[in-house]
Amino acid sequence: MRDVVAAPSSGLDLRQHYGHHQSPAIRAGGLIFCSGMLPVDSETGERRHGTLTSEAHVIFGNLKLLLESAGSSLDRLVQVHALIYDSIEYDVLNRVYRQYVANGPPARTVWAAQIEAGFKVELDVIAAA
Amino acid sequence: MAPRREVIVPSVRTLDAGSSFGQAVSTVVRGGDFLFVCGLSAVDARSGERVRGTTASETRQILINLKQLLEAAGSSLDKVVKVNVLLHSMLEAPNMNEVYASFFPDPPPARTVCGARLPDGAKVIIECTALA
Repeated sequence: MRDVVAAPSSGLDLRQHYGHHQSPAIRAGGLIFCSGMLPVDSETGERRHGTLTSEAHVIFGNLKLLLESAGSSLDRLVQVHALIYDSIEYDVLNRVYRQYVANGPPARTVWAAQIEAGFKVELDVIAAA
Repeated sequence: MAPRREVIVPSVRTLDAGSSFGQAVSTVVRGGDFLFVCGLSAVDARSGERVRGTTASETRQILINLKQLLEAAGSSLDKVVKVNVLLHSMLEAPNMNEVYASFFPDPPPARTVCGARLPDGAKVIIECTALA
């Protein structure tokens, strides 16, 4: 079974706001596969550009909303791909990241990539349902 | 019983990334309930040759091949749960998105798109996870 996880608030529907042909998340086989999480306002969908740290706070807030609406949570993350705009900010990412995954952090890979709209960070995650 | 793990060799040999390009990669691997498809770049299924085109044309070629690979493995584009798209430039994301939207069902799978330096001059690489 493949279930679509709907956006828990309007701003997290990137298809509606930006035309991206994607669902916010898909639940299948006991896992939740999230689309790339970006620092957008959860109510309005407006882009919340800032420092890597401020963007990461917005993203984790959005991810918490999305996962909890699907009956999961940040504590149930299995795998995280953290894309950052420049690997020089790796240490900055680590400082903010650890605040959200205190208990048995998920497997993680970090790499530098070009992120849409010039954002500094994007999280691509899989969680246990 | 241990969960199933099986390498699924494409019946269309030209779409087998490992044998076509001599790389240590399986094109489709089943693990548990899922099929994991390797990062696909644009290949002509008849000749097995790499196709170099625009972001849009490479996306179309890749998704034609992906559809065939999934269906040969007993799955389909409708059963895809997650797609990762790597582009040579994020400026091309709308060109990819337009073609992409014509292949996937509504509602579509989860997806992440990012820009990266891709090997061998590819403009697009697409990998995905689907239900078997």
